[in-house]
Amino acid sequence: MALKRGRGVAGGWYGIARTASIDRASTWAELDDGGTAKVVTGVTEIGEGILTVLAQIAAEELGVRPWEVTIGDNDTARAPEAAHAGATRQTYMIGNSVALACREARQRLYEQMADHWGVEVSSLASRDGEIWSEGSNHRCTMREAVDISKKRGVVPVGSANFTAHHTGLDGQDGSGRPWQAYVFGAQVAEVEVDTMTGEVQVLGIWAAHDVGRAVNPKGVEGQIEGGVVQAIGQGLMEHYETKDGRTTTPGFAKYILPTALDVPKVTSVIVEDPDPIGPLGVKGIGEPAMVPTIPAVMNAIYDAIGVRITSLPATPDKIVEALRKKNESAKAVQSAA
Amino acid sequence: MPDMIVEATVNGRKIKKIAQTHQRLLDFVREELELTGTKDGCGAGECGACSMFVDGRLVKSCLVPVGKAQGSEVETIEGLGRTGELSVMQKAFHKAGASQCGYCIPGMVMAATAAIRVNPAVGDEEIKERLGGNICRCTGYQKIFDAVGLARDVMNGRLPATALDEDAAEGGRYIGANVRRLDAPSKVSGALKYAGDQVMPQMLHVQVLRSPHAHARIVSIDTSEAEAMEGVEAVVTSADVPGKDGFGVFVHDQPIMARGKVRYVGEAIAAVAAEDLLTAKRALQKIRIEWEQLAGLFDPDEAMQAGAPVVHDYAPDNLVKHIPIRKGDVERGFAEADLVIEERFETQQVEHAYLEPEAGIGYVDPDGVVTIVSPSQNITHHRHMLAEILAMPINKVRFVMSPVGGGFGGKEDMIYQGMLALLAIKSRRPVKLVFTREESIATTAKRHPSRTSYRMGLTNDGRIVASEIRVIYDGGAYGMSTEGVIRKGAILAAGPYAVPNVKIDTYGVYTNNTPSGAFRSFGSLQTQFATESMLDMAAENLGLDPFEIRRINAMQAGDLTHTKQELKSVSLLQCLDGAEKASGWETGAPTVRGATREDLDGEGCRKPCRLGARFHAEIPAPKLSEVA
Ligand code: FES
Ligand code: FES
Repeated sequence: MALKRGRGVAGGWYGIARTASIDRASTWAELDDGGTAKVVTGVTEIGEGILTVLAQIAAEELGVRPWEVTIGDNDTARAPEAAHAGATRQTYMIGNSVALACREARQRLYEQMADHWGVEVSSLASRDGEIWSEGSNHRCTMREAVDISKKRGVVPVGSANFTAHHTGLDGQDGSGRPWQAYVFGAQVAEVEVDTMTGEVQVLGIWAAHDVGRAVNPKGVEGQIEGGVVQAIGQGLMEHYETKDGRTTTPGFAKYILPTALDVPKVTSVIVEDPDPIGPLGVKGIGEPAMVPTIPAVMNAIYDAIGVRITSLPATPDKIVEALRKKNESAKAVQSAA
Repeated sequence: MPDMIVEATVNGRKIKKIAQTHQRLLDFVREELELTGTKDGCGAGECGACSMFVDGRLVKSCLVPVGKAQGSEVETIEGLGRTGELSVMQKAFHKAGASQCGYCIPGMVMAATAAIRVNPAVGDEEIKERLGGNICRCTGYQKIFDAVGLARDVMNGRLPATALDEDAAEGGRYIGANVRRLDAPSKVSGALKYAGDQVMPQMLHVQVLRSPHAHARIVSIDTSEAEAMEGVEAVVTSADVPGKDGFGVFVHDQPIMARGKVRYVGEAIAAVAAEDLLTAKRALQKIRIEWEQLAGLFDPDEAMQAGAPVVHDYAPDNLVKHIPIRKGDVERGFAEADLVIEERFETQQVEHAYLEPEAGIGYVDPDGVVTIVSPSQNITHHRHMLAEILAMPINKVRFVMSPVGGGFGGKEDMIYQGMLALLAIKSRRPVKLVFTREESIATTAKRHPSRTSYRMGLTNDGRIVASEIRVIYDGGAYGMSTEGVIRKGAILAAGPYAVPNVKIDTYGVYTNNTPSGAFRSFGSLQTQFATESMLDMAAENLGLDPFEIRRINAMQAGDLTHTKQELKSVSLLQCLDGAEKASGWETGAPTVRGATREDLDGEGCRKPCRLGARFHAEIPAPKLSEVA
């Protein structure tokens, strides 16, 4: 048995939000009783953690705490349109629209409080459940502030829309502005290849990705780790097969997925190159996380055993076969020499 | 079906309930006891989502006939936090950020709890072995390992209990803070109700008749016998669609149920709503269909040839879409090149394998609003399409997105919600459909398989001067997201590199294969795999370090993309630096130098798996009260 190690690198890029068409998302926000907040938007959680991200954004913008934010969402009859949960668009599109709606609600509250205290609106700030006027000793809890605003007859609400101005591609040469925000990434993979069995183990991935601004760094890591492992699944084992259109991989016994034993250690490096257009500087990570992994692994396999896999997945059978061919041609060269 | 009376202790409470002998323990717990924290991810012992304890042993309850639970002590995810407080393990999952969609999480928490019960000092490598029977499609497992290690350390006193608390956000700044996921408690406790966990009064159960043929004309459908069955409340086919019958993300080429002909194996033909699942299943067998076989088309290259079978009449060339991108003059570029590399690449069809199979509920509310509750990734567009299909005003159609147990693009298509609407309208009762894992795998969209021909020209100093890329994507039987997939695939194909001369053509074609649709990274994974492989081949030829060749070509602020858009800022160099530094990369050309590298096996690598070597001697431990 010969175990060979190797390393490879790959880069990648990705566009944020809907491709080559205008994208939009909207939000309603309200500073609510008790100094809490209600944020309503048309779409959210598919597992990536966007609910928490939106609550963090709302909390920061309003001056409350994330767990005091209630998100109302996901209902075409009860929430404003925010389009779909995909295209690495949620933090960018919906996050920015939440920020803008919260700023409007906050402004409503600030106007009332500035009047109440007899100070300039511009002197007000709020954070972590408190509101105050800079350069004065006016300060109270957000709970009290909302109460004061309501007693003055004003419910602090706001609404906003965020637009990404994308254009379609020219039908002849494809020119156009498909996205306004781009992200980039690079990953290094380290593998061990068993030249007898053809089995490849990915032992380490170092993944550096630009996300604009990380709202929740642990959540970003989670997206990178999950994306990397999905890519390793496609790179090494997953294969939905059909014969004359009928699947021959009908269940998880035949359709092989990565388990706890197959996954590398993933080291994430979060790069923050803020988006200059949106109010928050955020971009996204969901899809781009998995782009560089497969080529990085294939380049690492080449580094280890000198075999280039160009047809996915790189199953043990394919590796063994490619090694056999390589050895044969090496022998042929030798005997010719 | 004979019934039996099951007496057992479940989560510390005595129960006595009627069960049906064919039920699995999983069904009994979910349906009769209404404890829906335990999930059905595969029904075949392969995923671990249904894990629970029976007499202290971790079992996959989808493999246990209900009769086996007679007189036993059963503990489910709901039993762990019986006092209303989460268990240490559940808190650790919350703190570590170990839950994403959450669908695998109850099973994971049970398996992790078992690991600690068996060995309170469980090592990091043994944790992996112990969780090896549980699939998670979202997290990549790393945060789950972190959670189990954290719970272990808190339980044996190596870490204080406060390690499980929320970290303080500095200065009340919440953007940039590792706020614990707000939805995690509902996921680690099993309290969150996914669509398949929800019930409504008077609810009917739906089953779908699916095509056994890849390409065949439907001469006739006779549902009369099925409709006459006792317990069957409604049967629908394409004849029941009142409006414009077509959906799809770009082209509306897919009917709610097959209309006139089927185009892939597994395509929906008819749907039945009945008082119970078994009756609905039996009714499917009573539907009579007369077929006329058509020649099938299974190869995307063949689809583009003249005389190939035609999948959709509107597209006699089987072409969904072609996206061309042209910049500069590739032939001139190749003429300038010192090195020209040519290669072909292939990628396969891939299943999303979200742990939550498709499920949904449809009902007509008291105001006549047709309402669909399902884990749809695109409720806005689905509402638009369904209103047209039902010929109803748009505000009389309502979509509610239930918690999504993983999507990855696979839940963007409205593949079953239309049937729920039609059945709810016809039966005037709530209806519910839950896919089996087999149904989900065989009938839902996949990642587009692709075939790429690539030609890249470079100068001796490593600059790419021309890239010519041609990709054929197999879209399968329906358009779904194909147009967008091949567009994104094209735009990003040549990579984040400044290439003066580019010629890219991507094609999406129809075949009679399982449809391809949206899948995380949407067509660009296929093309960027090719580009990044080509770059390493070039680097070997030119004696350049792989980072170096990428830096030489990296787009920079002010450069034009392949679609001639000026970029304001480009972070590729920062990312390359970040990956190079973090990995401690040893510089050198990619000349199969693995054996001589000095940067291997450093920090950031796991130990290779030598199967079975990781189990420490098992210490049979008494049940720990703190994990219960
Ligand atoms: S192992 Fe039981 S549902 Fe998957
Ligand atoms: S969190 Fe594990 S499957 Fe989604």
